[in-house]
Amino acid sequence: MNLDNFKNTWQQQNSLNESAITINQSLLSETKVNTQMKELNNMKWARIIESVVFFFIIVLLGQYIAKNVSVSAPVISALILAVFAIIGLAGNIGQIVHISNIDYAKPISQLQKDIYRLCSHKLQLTKLLLMSAPFYMAYVFIGFDVLFEIDLFAHLEQHIVWFYSVSSLLLLIVTTYVLAKLNYTNIKAPWVKRTVAFIVGERLVTMAQFINNIDSTGS
Amino acid sequence: MNTNKKALFAQTMDQHKGIVYKIVNSYCQNQDDRQDLAQEILTTMWLAYDNYNKDYKFSTWMYRIALNVAISYYRKDSKREDKANANEQCIVHIADFSAQDDKSEDVKQLYEFIGKLDKLNKAIMLLYLEDEPHQSIAKSLGISKTNVATRIGRIKETLKNQFEKQGA
Repeated sequence: MNLDNFKNTWQQQNSLNESAITINQSLLSETKVNTQMKELNNMKWARIIESVVFFFIIVLLGQYIAKNVSVSAPVISALILAVFAIIGLAGNIGQIVHISNIDYAKPISQLQKDIYRLCSHKLQLTKLLLMSAPFYMAYVFIGFDVLFEIDLFAHLEQHIVWFYSVSSLLLLIVTTYVLAKLNYTNIKAPWVKRTVAFIVGERLVTMAQFINNIDSTGS
Repeated sequence: MNTNKKALFAQTMDQHKGIVYKIVNSYCQNQDDRQDLAQEILTTMWLAYDNYNKDYKFSTWMYRIALNVAISYYRKDSKREDKANANEQCIVHIADFSAQDDKSEDVKQLYEFIGKLDKLNKAIMLLYLEDEPHQSIAKSLGISKTNVATRIGRIKETLKNQFEKQGA
Protein backbone atom coordinates (compact mmCIF):
# COMPACT_ATOMS: atom_id res chain seq x y z
CA MET A 1 0.00 0.00 0.00
CA ASN A 2 1.33 3.46 -0.80
CA LEU A 3 0.71 6.85 0.79
CA ASP A 4 -2.08 7.76 -1.62
CA ASN A 5 -3.99 4.59 -0.70
CA PHE A 6 -3.68 5.62 2.93
CA LYS A 7 -5.40 8.96 2.31
CA ASN A 8 -8.87 7.42 2.08
CA THR A 9 -8.39 5.25 5.14
CA TRP A 10 -7.14 8.29 7.04
CA GLN A 11 -10.06 10.47 6.08
CA GLN A 12 -12.59 7.72 6.83
CA GLN A 13 -11.37 7.84 10.43
CA ASN A 14 -12.58 11.43 10.91
CA SER A 15 -15.86 10.58 12.66
CA LEU A 16 -14.08 8.11 14.97
CA ASN A 17 -11.51 10.76 15.80
CA GLU A 18 -14.19 13.27 16.66
CA SER A 19 -15.84 10.86 19.09
CA ALA A 20 -12.48 10.18 20.77
CA ILE A 21 -12.17 13.75 21.98
CA THR A 22 -14.48 15.59 24.35
CA ILE A 23 -14.20 19.28 25.09
CA ASN A 24 -15.57 21.11 28.09
CA GLN A 25 -16.74 24.19 26.20
CA SER A 26 -17.79 26.19 29.25
CA LEU A 27 -14.37 25.73 30.89
CA LEU A 28 -12.65 26.52 27.61
CA SER A 29 -14.59 29.74 27.14
CA GLU A 30 -13.56 30.88 30.63
CA THR A 31 -9.88 30.53 29.72
CA LYS A 32 -8.09 33.86 29.74
CA VAL A 33 -4.51 32.61 29.53
CA ASN A 34 -2.68 29.33 28.94
CA THR A 35 0.82 27.95 29.58
CA GLN A 36 2.36 29.45 26.45
CA MET A 37 0.76 32.85 27.10
CA LYS A 38 1.98 32.74 30.71
CA GLU A 39 5.46 31.90 29.49
CA LEU A 40 5.39 34.80 27.03
CA ASN A 41 4.11 37.13 29.72
CA ASN A 42 6.90 36.08 32.09
CA MET A 43 9.42 36.66 29.32
CA LYS A 44 8.01 40.11 28.70
CA TRP A 45 8.36 41.08 32.38
CA ALA A 46 11.89 39.67 32.55
CA ARG A 47 12.85 41.75 29.49
CA ILE A 48 11.26 44.88 31.00
CA ILE A 49 13.27 44.42 34.22
CA GLU A 50 16.47 43.84 32.24
CA SER A 51 15.76 46.94 30.17
CA VAL A 52 15.44 49.02 33.35
CA VAL A 53 18.80 47.65 34.56
CA PHE A 54 20.48 48.45 31.22
CA PHE A 55 18.91 51.91 31.30
CA PHE A 56 20.37 52.61 34.75
CA ILE A 57 23.79 51.39 33.64
CA ILE A 58 23.61 53.76 30.65
CA VAL A 59 22.55 56.67 32.91
CA LEU A 60 25.36 55.96 35.40
CA LEU A 61 27.97 55.64 32.65
CA GLY A 62 26.59 58.80 31.01
CA GLN A 63 26.90 60.71 34.28
CA TYR A 64 30.44 59.41 34.73
CA ILE A 65 31.40 60.52 31.20
CA ALA A 66 29.76 63.93 31.67
CA LYS A 67 31.61 64.45 34.95
CA ASN A 68 35.03 63.50 33.56
CA VAL A 69 34.97 64.78 29.98
CA SER A 70 38.48 64.11 28.67
CA VAL A 71 40.38 61.77 26.38
CA SER A 72 41.45 59.46 29.17
CA ALA A 73 41.42 55.66 29.47
CA PRO A 74 38.54 55.55 32.07
CA VAL A 75 36.31 57.83 29.96
CA ILE A 76 36.99 55.87 26.76
CA SER A 77 36.31 52.67 28.77
CA ALA A 78 33.02 54.13 30.00
CA LEU A 79 32.10 54.97 26.41
CA ILE A 80 32.84 51.42 25.27
CA LEU A 81 30.77 49.91 28.09
CA ALA A 82 27.95 52.39 27.41
CA VAL A 83 27.87 51.16 23.79
CA PHE A 84 27.45 47.56 25.04
CA ALA A 85 24.71 48.64 27.45
CA ILE A 86 22.91 50.46 24.61
CA ILE A 87 23.13 47.31 22.46
CA GLY A 88 21.69 45.34 25.40
CA LEU A 89 18.85 47.81 25.89
CA ALA A 90 18.04 47.87 22.17
CA GLY A 91 18.04 44.07 22.11
CA ASN A 92 15.64 43.96 25.04
CA ILE A 93 13.27 46.45 23.47
CA GLY A 94 13.39 44.36 20.29
CA GLN A 95 12.49 41.26 22.34
CA ILE A 96 9.51 43.03 23.93
CA VAL A 97 8.26 43.96 20.45
CA HIS A 98 8.79 40.35 19.25
CA ILE A 99 6.82 38.99 22.21
CA SER A 100 3.92 41.29 21.35
CA ASN A 101 4.00 40.08 17.74
CA ILE A 102 3.85 36.36 18.48
CA ASP A 103 0.96 34.97 16.48
CA TYR A 104 0.29 31.24 16.33
CA ALA A 105 -1.64 31.65 13.07
CA LYS A 106 1.56 32.66 11.25
CA PRO A 107 3.17 30.18 8.82
CA ILE A 108 5.05 27.55 10.80
CA SER A 109 8.58 28.50 9.70
CA GLN A 110 7.98 32.15 10.57
CA LEU A 111 6.50 31.50 14.02
CA GLN A 112 9.14 28.95 14.94
CA LYS A 113 11.85 31.47 14.04
CA ASP A 114 10.08 34.10 16.16
CA ILE A 115 9.93 31.70 19.12
CA TYR A 116 13.56 30.72 18.60
CA ARG A 117 14.51 34.41 18.69
CA LEU A 118 12.70 34.80 22.01
CA CYS A 119 14.09 31.64 23.55
CA SER A 120 17.63 32.48 22.46
CA HIS A 121 17.66 35.67 24.52
CA LYS A 122 19.94 34.14 27.16
CA LEU A 123 22.30 33.08 24.39
CA GLN A 124 22.29 36.63 22.98
CA LEU A 125 23.04 38.09 26.42
CA THR A 126 25.93 35.66 26.82
CA LYS A 127 27.16 36.67 23.37
CA LEU A 128 26.99 40.33 24.38
CA LEU A 129 29.03 39.55 27.48
CA LEU A 130 31.52 37.60 25.38
CA MET A 131 31.73 40.50 22.94
CA SER A 132 32.87 42.73 25.77
CA ALA A 133 35.58 40.24 26.84
CA PRO A 134 38.28 41.72 24.54
CA PHE A 135 37.61 45.03 26.27
CA TYR A 136 38.07 43.56 29.73
CA MET A 137 40.58 46.28 30.62
CA ALA A 138 37.75 48.81 30.34
CA TYR A 139 36.22 47.35 33.53
CA VAL A 140 39.61 47.52 35.27
CA PHE A 141 40.27 51.14 34.25
CA ILE A 142 36.84 52.34 35.41
CA GLY A 143 37.10 50.29 38.61
CA PHE A 144 40.43 51.85 39.54
CA ASP A 145 39.18 55.34 38.76
CA VAL A 146 35.90 54.97 40.70
CA LEU A 147 37.33 53.12 43.70
CA PHE A 148 40.80 54.66 44.05
CA GLU A 149 40.60 57.68 41.71
CA ILE A 150 43.65 56.36 39.87
CA ASP A 151 44.08 56.51 36.10
CA LEU A 152 45.68 53.08 35.86
CA PHE A 153 46.54 53.43 32.17
CA ALA A 154 48.82 56.42 32.89
CA HIS A 155 50.79 54.27 35.34
CA LEU A 156 51.21 51.26 33.07
CA GLU A 157 54.59 50.47 31.59
CA GLN A 158 54.90 50.18 27.82
CA HIS A 159 55.40 46.39 27.75
CA ILE A 160 52.31 45.86 29.94
CA VAL A 161 50.27 48.00 27.54
CA TRP A 162 51.54 45.84 24.69
CA PHE A 163 50.70 42.67 26.60
CA TYR A 164 47.12 43.83 27.22
CA SER A 165 46.75 45.05 23.63
CA VAL A 166 47.93 41.75 22.16
CA SER A 167 45.82 39.67 24.59
CA SER A 168 42.76 41.81 23.73
CA LEU A 169 43.42 41.33 20.03
CA LEU A 170 43.73 37.57 20.48
CA LEU A 171 40.54 37.53 22.54
CA LEU A 172 38.82 39.57 19.84
CA ILE A 173 39.77 36.99 17.20
CA VAL A 174 38.64 34.07 19.37
CA THR A 175 35.35 35.67 20.47
CA THR A 176 34.53 36.82 16.92
CA TYR A 177 34.98 33.23 15.71
CA VAL A 178 32.95 31.75 18.59
CA LEU A 179 30.15 34.32 18.25
CA ALA A 180 29.90 33.80 14.50
CA LYS A 181 29.63 30.04 15.02
CA LEU A 182 27.09 30.15 17.88
CA ASN A 183 24.17 30.25 15.49
CA TYR A 184 21.34 27.85 14.72
CA THR A 185 22.79 27.23 11.27
CA ASN A 186 25.80 25.55 12.91
CA ILE A 187 23.85 23.44 15.39
CA LYS A 188 25.12 20.26 13.68
CA ALA A 189 28.62 20.98 15.01
CA PRO A 190 28.88 19.03 18.31
CA TRP A 191 30.62 21.86 20.22
CA VAL A 192 27.99 24.42 19.10
CA LYS A 193 25.22 22.03 20.14
CA ARG A 194 26.84 21.39 23.53
CA THR A 195 27.51 25.10 24.15
CA VAL A 196 23.95 26.14 23.24
CA ALA A 197 22.53 23.32 25.38
CA PHE A 198 24.78 24.37 28.28
CA ILE A 199 23.85 28.07 28.09
CA VAL A 200 20.15 27.85 27.29
CA GLY A 201 19.10 24.20 27.42
CA GLU A 202 18.03 21.35 25.16
CA ARG A 203 14.88 23.13 24.04
CA LEU A 204 16.81 25.68 22.01
CA VAL A 205 18.88 22.93 20.40
CA THR A 206 15.69 21.18 19.28
CA MET A 207 14.27 24.44 17.94
CA ALA A 208 17.52 25.23 16.12
CA GLN A 209 17.47 21.78 14.52
CA PHE A 210 13.88 22.32 13.41
CA ILE A 211 14.61 25.73 11.87
CA ASN A 212 17.70 24.35 10.18
CA ASN A 213 15.61 21.56 8.76
CA ILE A 214 12.93 23.93 7.50
CA ASP A 215 15.55 26.26 6.01
CA SER A 216 17.24 23.49 4.08
CA THR A 217 16.09 23.44 0.48
CA GLY A 218 15.49 19.73 0.49
CA SER A 219 18.64 19.16 -1.48
CA MET B 1 -15.94 37.69 23.46
CA ASN B 2 -19.70 37.80 22.98
CA THR B 3 -22.06 34.84 23.42
CA ASN B 4 -22.61 34.47 19.66
CA LYS B 5 -18.93 34.15 19.05
CA LYS B 6 -18.58 31.64 21.87
CA ALA B 7 -21.36 29.54 20.41
CA LEU B 8 -19.89 29.77 16.91
CA PHE B 9 -16.48 28.71 18.20
CA ALA B 10 -17.98 25.79 20.12
CA GLN B 11 -19.91 24.67 17.05
CA THR B 12 -16.96 24.97 14.68
CA MET B 13 -14.63 23.27 17.14
CA ASP B 14 -17.03 20.38 17.45
CA GLN B 15 -16.88 19.87 13.70
CA HIS B 16 -13.09 19.96 13.54
CA LYS B 17 -11.93 18.55 16.86
CA GLY B 18 -10.67 15.43 15.11
CA ILE B 19 -7.74 17.54 13.90
CA VAL B 20 -6.57 17.98 17.49
CA TYR B 21 -6.80 14.23 18.01
CA LYS B 22 -4.68 13.49 14.93
CA ILE B 23 -2.04 16.04 15.84
CA VAL B 24 -1.60 15.04 19.50
CA ASN B 25 -1.37 11.37 18.55
CA SER B 26 1.23 12.17 15.90
CA TYR B 27 3.39 14.42 18.07
CA CYS B 28 3.21 12.82 21.51
CA GLN B 29 4.22 9.38 22.63
CA ASN B 30 2.40 9.17 25.96
CA GLN B 31 -1.14 9.86 27.08
CA ASP B 32 -0.25 12.59 29.63
CA ASP B 33 1.57 14.58 26.98
CA ARG B 34 -1.31 14.12 24.52
CA GLN B 35 -3.77 15.43 27.08
CA ASP B 36 -1.51 18.34 27.95
CA LEU B 37 -0.84 19.25 24.31
CA ALA B 38 -4.53 19.01 23.37
CA GLN B 39 -5.37 21.44 26.17
CA GLU B 40 -2.65 23.81 25.00
CA ILE B 41 -3.85 23.65 21.38
CA LEU B 42 -7.48 24.29 22.28
CA THR B 43 -6.76 27.16 24.65
CA THR B 44 -4.40 28.77 22.12
CA MET B 45 -7.11 28.54 19.47
CA TRP B 46 -9.68 29.98 21.81
CA LEU B 47 -7.41 32.89 22.74
CA ALA B 48 -6.57 33.52 19.06
CA TYR B 49 -10.14 33.16 17.80
CA ASP B 50 -10.76 36.91 17.95
CA ASN B 51 -8.19 37.33 15.18
CA TYR B 52 -9.56 34.54 13.00
CA ASN B 53 -9.93 35.77 9.45
CA LYS B 54 -13.03 34.28 7.85
CA ASP B 55 -11.43 34.53 4.40
CA TYR B 56 -9.48 31.40 5.33
CA LYS B 57 -10.86 27.93 5.83
CA PHE B 58 -11.34 27.21 9.56
CA SER B 59 -9.60 23.85 9.24
CA THR B 60 -6.54 25.50 7.61
CA TRP B 61 -6.35 28.10 10.39
CA MET B 62 -6.84 25.39 12.99
CA TYR B 63 -4.13 23.16 11.49
CA ARG B 64 -1.69 26.05 11.42
CA ILE B 65 -2.24 26.93 15.08
CA ALA B 66 -2.31 23.32 16.24
CA LEU B 67 0.88 22.45 14.36
CA ASN B 68 2.63 25.56 15.64
CA VAL B 69 1.69 24.69 19.23
CA ALA B 70 2.67 21.03 18.75
CA ILE B 71 6.05 21.90 17.23
CA SER B 72 6.91 24.41 19.93
CA TYR B 73 5.46 22.18 22.67
CA TYR B 74 8.10 21.41 25.23
CA ARG B 75 7.86 19.65 28.53
CA LYS B 76 10.97 19.88 30.67
CA ASP B 77 10.33 16.59 32.39
CA SER B 78 8.13 14.27 30.41
CA LYS B 79 8.31 11.66 33.15
CA ARG B 80 7.04 13.97 35.85
CA GLU B 81 3.94 12.94 37.72
CA ASP B 82 1.12 14.97 36.38
CA LYS B 83 0.46 16.89 39.58
CA ALA B 84 -0.32 20.09 37.75
CA ASN B 85 -2.94 18.46 35.57
CA ALA B 86 -4.46 16.67 38.52
CA ASN B 87 -5.14 19.99 40.17
CA GLU B 88 -6.34 21.71 37.02
CA GLN B 89 -9.84 21.20 35.72
CA CYS B 90 -9.80 19.22 32.52
CA ILE B 91 -10.84 21.21 29.46
CA VAL B 92 -10.33 18.32 27.09
CA HIS B 93 -10.39 14.59 27.34
CA ILE B 94 -8.63 12.44 24.76
CA ALA B 95 -9.37 8.73 24.53
CA ASP B 96 -6.28 6.60 25.04
CA PHE B 97 -5.11 5.72 21.53
CA SER B 98 -3.54 2.41 22.53
CA ALA B 99 -6.79 1.29 24.18
CA GLN B 100 -8.92 1.99 21.10
CA ASP B 101 -9.90 -1.18 19.29
CA ASP B 102 -11.85 0.55 16.53
CA LYS B 103 -8.69 1.72 14.76
CA SER B 104 -7.88 -0.24 11.63
CA GLU B 105 -4.49 -1.89 11.31
CA ASP B 106 -3.64 0.53 8.46
CA VAL B 107 -4.32 3.56 10.62
CA LYS B 108 -2.28 2.16 13.49
CA GLN B 109 0.61 1.51 11.10
CA LEU B 110 0.24 4.98 9.69
CA TYR B 111 0.43 6.58 13.15
CA GLU B 112 3.47 4.45 13.89
CA PHE B 113 5.09 5.65 10.68
CA ILE B 114 4.21 9.30 11.35
CA GLY B 115 5.59 8.96 14.87
CA LYS B 116 9.01 8.13 13.44
CA LEU B 117 9.15 11.21 11.20
CA ASP B 118 10.79 14.46 12.29
CA LYS B 119 8.58 17.36 13.38
CA LEU B 120 8.54 19.05 9.97
CA ASN B 121 7.79 15.91 7.98
CA LYS B 122 5.05 15.03 10.47
CA ALA B 123 3.37 18.36 9.66
CA ILE B 124 3.75 17.78 5.91
CA MET B 125 2.40 14.25 6.20
CA LEU B 126 -0.65 15.32 8.23
CA LEU B 127 -1.54 18.08 5.76
CA TYR B 128 -0.94 15.74 2.81
CA LEU B 129 -3.23 13.08 4.28
CA GLU B 130 -5.92 15.77 4.63
CA ASP B 131 -5.69 16.15 0.85
CA GLU B 132 -4.31 19.68 1.10
CA PRO B 133 -2.75 20.78 -2.22
CA HIS B 134 1.02 21.31 -2.26
CA GLN B 135 0.52 25.07 -2.61
CA SER B 136 -1.56 25.19 0.57
CA ILE B 137 0.93 23.00 2.50
CA ALA B 138 3.75 25.28 1.36
CA LYS B 139 1.82 28.35 2.51
CA SER B 140 1.04 26.87 5.92
CA LEU B 141 4.64 25.86 6.47
CA GLY B 142 6.21 28.94 4.93
CA ILE B 143 8.40 26.91 2.57
CA SER B 144 8.47 26.54 -1.21
CA LYS B 145 6.12 24.30 -3.18
CA THR B 146 9.13 22.50 -4.65
CA ASN B 147 10.43 21.78 -1.16
CA VAL B 148 7.06 20.33 -0.19
CA ALA B 149 6.97 18.12 -3.30
CA THR B 150 10.53 16.90 -2.64
CA ARG B 151 9.77 16.07 0.97
CA ILE B 152 6.53 14.27 0.10
CA GLY B 153 8.43 12.25 -2.50
CA ARG B 154 10.97 11.23 0.13
CA ILE B 155 8.28 10.34 2.67
CA LYS B 156 6.57 8.14 0.06
CA GLU B 157 9.87 6.44 -0.69
CA THR B 158 10.56 5.81 3.01
CA LEU B 159 7.06 4.41 3.49
CA LYS B 160 7.45 2.15 0.47
CA ASN B 161 10.77 0.84 1.76
CA GLN B 162 9.29 0.25 5.18
CA PHE B 163 6.44 -1.79 3.75
CA GLU B 164 8.81 -3.76 1.56
CA LYS B 165 10.92 -4.56 4.62
CA GLN B 166 7.86 -5.64 6.58
CA GLY B 167 6.71 -7.76 3.66
CA ALA B 168 10.09 -9.45 3.26
